[in-house]
Amino acid sequence: MLTYEPDDTLAHRLDPRSKLAVQIGFAASALAHTTPHALVVLTGLALGLLWSARVPLRQALYAYRYALPLLALAPLISAITLGAPWFDPRAAIAPALASYRVLLIILVSAAYIRSTPVRDSRAAIQRTVPGKPGQLLGMGVALVFRFLPLLRQDLETIRDASDARLGTERSLLERVVHIGTVSLERAFIRADRLSLALQARCFAWNPTLPPLALTRRDAPAFALAGVLVVTVLL
Amino acid sequence: MATNSQSVDLVDGDVVRSFARAALLAALISATAYVSIPIPISPVPFTLQVLFVCLAGLVLGPVWGSVAMILYLAAGAIGIPVFSGGNGGIGHLFGHTGGYLWSYPVAAFVIGAMVHRGRTLKDVSAVSIPVLAVSLLAGLTLIYGIGVPWLAWVLEIGLAEAVSLGAAPFIPLDLVKLAAAAAIVKSGRIDTV
Repeated sequence: MLTYEPDDTLAHRLDPRSKLAVQIGFAASALAHTTPHALVVLTGLALGLLWSARVPLRQALYAYRYALPLLALAPLISAITLGAPWFDPRAAIAPALASYRVLLIILVSAAYIRSTPVRDSRAAIQRTVPGKPGQLLGMGVALVFRFLPLLRQDLETIRDASDARLGTERSLLERVVHIGTVSLERAFIRADRLSLALQARCFAWNPTLPPLALTRRDAPAFALAGVLVVTVLL
Repeated sequence: MATNSQSVDLVDGDVVRSFARAALLAALISATAYVSIPIPISPVPFTLQVLFVCLAGLVLGPVWGSVAMILYLAAGAIGIPVFSGGNGGIGHLFGHTGGYLWSYPVAAFVIGAMVHRGRTLKDVSAVSIPVLAVSLLAGLTLIYGIGVPWLAWVLEIGLAEAVSLGAAPFIPLDLVKLAAAAAIVKSGRIDTV
């Protein structure tokens, strides 16, 4: 699984906002262009971005392996025709190029994930999205990050307990109802305790944020993002 | 650490409670990305995300239900491993499954709005089965109505191919999840008000 790793790469030294801008620019450009020529350029750029955070390509591909079967199936399904000639490879070309660009869009995220701690991303959200929505969004993602391991454990416990009591013999609907009810009950018990704790600690609309500063190093990143967005018009 | 000299602007009690519930529901839908119930007859993994999208609208209402889903998408966008397969990254929001992901807040809003008819939440266990069924089906239609054309557009495949790839294998199991969502709220074990 991809996760933040402390390091001193180029990407680690950039502000999360400029890295997010580059990713959005990359996605916009890739969604607008699927010519082989454009894809060669985008591939080079994607490899460069992964290199800037020192993410090995193999590791990134392995992390996103669940996306690969569907991306491979799309051109195959397009090539299959009902009736002669049954299999038309020419029909697979456009979907294959399109699938490849989706892979590039997803892969580029790996560089951001390895180089950005969640607290920095949270600070970036709270500084970028204005007003109360920004505060809630930033706090919310921090809470999701904090509670994800706990709720995963809850789900495992519920499943183990259910399996130990022959839950595997029950119908699918019964199993889904059971796991849904118990996990939601537990999550809401946690939520109500959390809301009490938040209020006890003066949960406010204007918290002190972790420090975050755009530096001169971010200028080229924003410029790259700008160029990528402009390529959409080409 | 930056210093701040303004006075503390406290968040209201009801907002904190709803917000905590929305955040935990977003964490719960993230946690289900790792749980798949294996079914012998189908190659498609059975994940519970659609169940919790429905429950978000039903239990938290239109506003906080869609907030929960937006938190889920934002958490994924900054790289927290919350999307199916245990991955994150803003690329997913623009990738082939992006349409389904964007549809979650919309679906939660529509389900919540149809069941609660306003911002004040009703007791969901008292809502009639036909109302629940219609609103849940409307939510599911929205998820596929946004997700499938997006899939077709991004992968440059025909709509029929997109349906066979991204809807047909999942819909029978999703109907089970809708039935489960209705059964969960009708059981009265989850309090909404």
